[in-house]
This record gives sequence, C-alpha cells and structure tokens, in this order.
Amino acid sequence: MEYSIIVEHLTKKFGNFTSVDNISFSVKKGEIFGLLGANGAGKTTTIRMLCGLLIPTSGTMNVAGYDVFTQGKEIRKHIGYMSQKFSLYEDLSVIENLELFGTIYKLKRDILHKRILQIIARLQMRNYATSKVEALPLGQKQKLAFATALIHKPEVVFLDEPTSGVDPLVRRDFWNMIYESASEGVTIVVTTHYMDEAEYCNRLCFMANGKVEIIGNPTDLKNNYKVENMNEVFHKISHR
Amino acid sequence: MKSFRAILIKEFRHIFRDMRTLVLILTMPIVLVVLFGYTIKNEISNTKIAVLDYSNDSYSKLYIEKMTASTYFQIVKVLKSENEIEQAFQQGLIHMAVVIPRNFEENIIRRKQSEIQMIIDASNINIATTLDSYGKQITASFQKEINQQLSNIQPFDVSIKMQYNPSLESAYMFIPGNIALIMIIVTALMTSITLSREKETGSWRMLAITPVRQLTMVVAKIIPYMIISLICTVIVIVLGIFMFKMPMHGSIALLSLVCVLFMFTACSLGVLISVYTKTQQVAMILCMLGLFLPALLLSGFIFPIENMPQVIQIISHIIPTKWFIIALKDIMIKGAGLITVWLPLSILSVMTLALMGLSLNKLISKNV
Repeated sequence: MEYSIIVEHLTKKFGNFTSVDNISFSVKKGEIFGLLGANGAGKTTTIRMLCGLLIPTSGTMNVAGYDVFTQGKEIRKHIGYMSQKFSLYEDLSVIENLELFGTIYKLKRDILHKRILQIIARLQMRNYATSKVEALPLGQKQKLAFATALIHKPEVVFLDEPTSGVDPLVRRDFWNMIYESASEGVTIVVTTHYMDEAEYCNRLCFMANGKVEIIGNPTDLKNNYKVENMNEVFHKISHR
Repeated sequence: MKSFRAILIKEFRHIFRDMRTLVLILTMPIVLVVLFGYTIKNEISNTKIAVLDYSNDSYSKLYIEKMTASTYFQIVKVLKSENEIEQAFQQGLIHMAVVIPRNFEENIIRRKQSEIQMIIDASNINIATTLDSYGKQITASFQKEINQQLSNIQPFDVSIKMQYNPSLESAYMFIPGNIALIMIIVTALMTSITLSREKETGSWRMLAITPVRQLTMVVAKIIPYMIISLICTVIVIVLGIFMFKMPMHGSIALLSLVCVLFMFTACSLGVLISVYTKTQQVAMILCMLGLFLPALLLSGFIFPIENMPQVIQIISHIIPTKWFIIALKDIMIKGAGLITVWLPLSILSVMTLALMGLSLNKLISKNV
C-alpha cells in the first residue's frame, strides 16, 4: 500500500496550551481524507503543520515521500493548499491570479497556458476570465481557489474548510471537483463542519481536544455506533 | 528569478489598479510642501499695531515713523488713553501696542532715561517672540541714530550676519523635514500596510506554502514603493528649490546617496513593523505613533532639539530621521562634503543594517 501522508506522534504546543496532542495517522494515495471536529479541536493546526507553515513541537511527518522537517523546500513543489478564507488577489483578474501562481511554481509558459484554458473551461468562467476576481460570486471564488491550489498538479492538496459559507448547490459542484482530482490520483485532506460532506470522504478522522478520537470510513463508523447518519456519529463521539 | 518578477508585476498591478491611492501618494509631496511653505513662516510682516503717544513731539513722531517704515508693522489705531489698549486687543484689532511716555524729546535731549512700553499679545508665543525681537531691533537702531545726532560718538557697533540662511527663509528648515516625512509615509507606512494586508487576507499564507522564499516575496513587494518614494522625494526637492528658494550647495551624488540610504532605513522599519503585526490597522497605528510622530517632533524638524529636556534629547539620538535631516541640511545648505556628514551617514547606515537584520531574522525563521 502506498501512503501519501504518514504522521507519527505529532504534537504542537502554544505555551501551556496543547493544540495537537500526540496524533498519528496515515493517508493513502488518491484518498479523500476528512478531518472532523469542533472548533479548536486542532484540525487547522494539524493542516498548517503538514504544509510546513507551523513548526511542530515534536513528532514526525512525511508528505508525498518527503520529510516535512528536513525537506520542507522540496515538499512545497508537491503540495497545494486552500484555506477557509478566500485568499486569491481580489483586484487581479482570474487569468492574472492563475498566471501568478503558475509562474511561482515555475510552470513552463505553454503548459501554464494550456492549464489555464482547461481551468477556465472546467469552471465555465469564460465570461469572467479577464474580470477582477472581486466580481465573482463566492462559490465561484472558492472553486477558483481550489483550481489554483491544483495548478502545479500537486500530489497532496490540503483544504481547510473549503466550503464554509457556500450554498449547497455550489458545494455539490465543489465536491465533484474533489472527486475528479482524487480519481486522477491526487490525495486530498479536507476539514469540514458539514456532516453531509463527511459522508463524501473515503476515510474520516475525528479530532477532539487535540487528540484523534477515532478513524474509519463513514459506513463502518455508522455501523459501529448503530446510527443512520454522520451527524449522529458526531454527536455520539463528542458527547462521550 | 521568475517568481520574483511575477510578484513584482503583481504588486505594480495592485498599485495601478488602485489609481486613487496612487494619485493621493503622488500629490502628497506637493500638498505637504505647499502647506508647510505657506504656513510655517518665521518672518512676520504688516502686523497690526496701535500707538499711544503721550509726548506728541518730533522725536516721538520720528520713532513712530521708524516703526512704520519697516514692513513689519502697520499702525491701525492711534490711541488717546491707556484704557483703550485692552479694548483694542479684545476687539482683535491689534497684536501689539506701543506706548511712548511724556516728555520723550525733552528726556532725550537732557540725557535722561525714558521708557517705551511695548504690549504684545502673547497668546501665540512664536509670533510674540518674533514681534518682541523686531521691536527691539527698531528701537536699537533708533537709539543709534539719536546718539549719532547728539554726540557724533559711537563707541562700538554690533554687526550681525546670518550665516547659511541670510534671509531667514523657513524653507531651509521645512524642506529637509518634508523629505523625511514623505519617505516615512510612502516607504515605511505603505510597505507595512501592503505586507500586513497580505497577512490579513491570508494570501501571505497562500504564497508561503509555494516554493518562493519569503525574502524574495517581501523584496519584490516593496520595490515598487521604493520607486514611488524616490519619485516623491524628487518632487519635494524640485519644488523646494524652485518654489521656495531652497539652496543646493552640495553635490547631487551625495544628496542622492543620503536619500537612498534613508529610503532603506524607512523600508526596514516598515518591514519590521509588518512582520510583527497581523492587521493593517495595527501596522498603521504603529507607523503613526512609532515613526511619524517622532519624525515630526523629535527630529529637530519643527522644534529645536536643543531646547528639549535632557531625557528627550537623549531619546532623539535613536530617531533615524534626526540624523537624516542633519545630513540633508549640511549637504543642501552648507554644501558639506562626505568628510562633514560622515557621522550622521554612518549612524544611519548602522541603524539600517540593524533594522534589516532584525526583520530578516524574523522573515527567515518563517514564523510570520
């Protein structure tokens, strides 16, 4: 079995507060891995450490075959990241944003142009291509941010609450994009608040107070707790 | 290098898309120079005064004539009694009243002392001190004239030459200060705002996970603001020289060197502030309190440092702007060369290196 992410005994302390407490898990290549938990459970901190944005207090992380701690520079070429906050440049156009990130990832001109055309076609943004990003509706913005995170064809993509505040129809579409990428072999780590979205994941990891509560696929978890849907699973786990 | 260029282009796009801010920044030096040029004036002319002449003889008339012959004073009221003085002040008609005692001529001829009284409105200290010295000047020259008439002997005379600023132009003082203010506003303030904006919107994090180095990103981002600040500096200097007769006795090369050096100082300050703040608002307040106000008050720009309490004089040594203004004045007004300005120049260099080091240290450690 090929693993894209291997996390062992990862801990992050901020002063006296332990945000992530000795967690271990691994994610297979091409898997959609959901990180669930209440606010402050340590999901975002975990993702930021995996991206190399935060230095862990202790533990080891291997992402896309590289050690995050010693090969941080190499890893950056192979991961993508998208946060709950829309963070593309609002005053640049759709194409300009894509060009900027493509150039930073050192894509060749012709390859970059081909990818930009593909993305615009996929997102049906032909009419928006040269207008400023601030003119796009929120759902389109989030999809564009996701496409930007994928522009260099990374092996692993981290999505930190990518669909918060987006309406259900667009969320559906967003998840189709996630499936498409996963079928191309991209490993996806996603955090979410929406329990219906949890059902879409291949495997789930519930976090509470910085610790991993349980890991499993949605069907097993439901059978385990003898409930109908993920919402109830979440309740059972958080009220234990 | 490719990503450096990409970020540089992006930053220029941000600037040109936000035309309003760009126009604002570029007109700021003009507004600043014109405002300071016409508001800060040391010389006072045509001050309205009142005269109360109890003697009404030829010498008192000669004295009053002397006062009005200068462009400093203009008599708007001739008073008849002491009571009218307060009234005239209250009505806002005059800023000064001159009272000439009885028997003025007789006393002069008899070599008896008589006392001319000048009552000055001191609600504005700066104006009051200036009026005081003008009044004394005129009286002294009147005295001299009379002495010559009566005895033909003149034991000694004092001649004063105002070295380096013979006509006491205020431009000599505010142009160097304005250059410093513009540098602080455009370079430090704009740099820290643009960097903290990226943090606030989360795009900094977006870039931080790409292979681009943080240092590359910051340098590419601040270069456009460096260019704008140099343009603004040129505007201030040109306006100063052509509109307000600011002299330029030193070498242009040395002046440019000092300006570029201070641009780096201001830049490092801006970067330093932005790496330690999370939002634009905090960065802005820090720039105002930590950079702008000291540059305005503690740099010797408006208020002479020599008149400040000892403690503040010591604090003023760590304000980079102070050294910048000293160097600017030496070069532009005195025509000083490298040998004269080496001290402020090396102090500025050391400060800049230290500030750069501090912010680089934080940038490379990545925990921004």
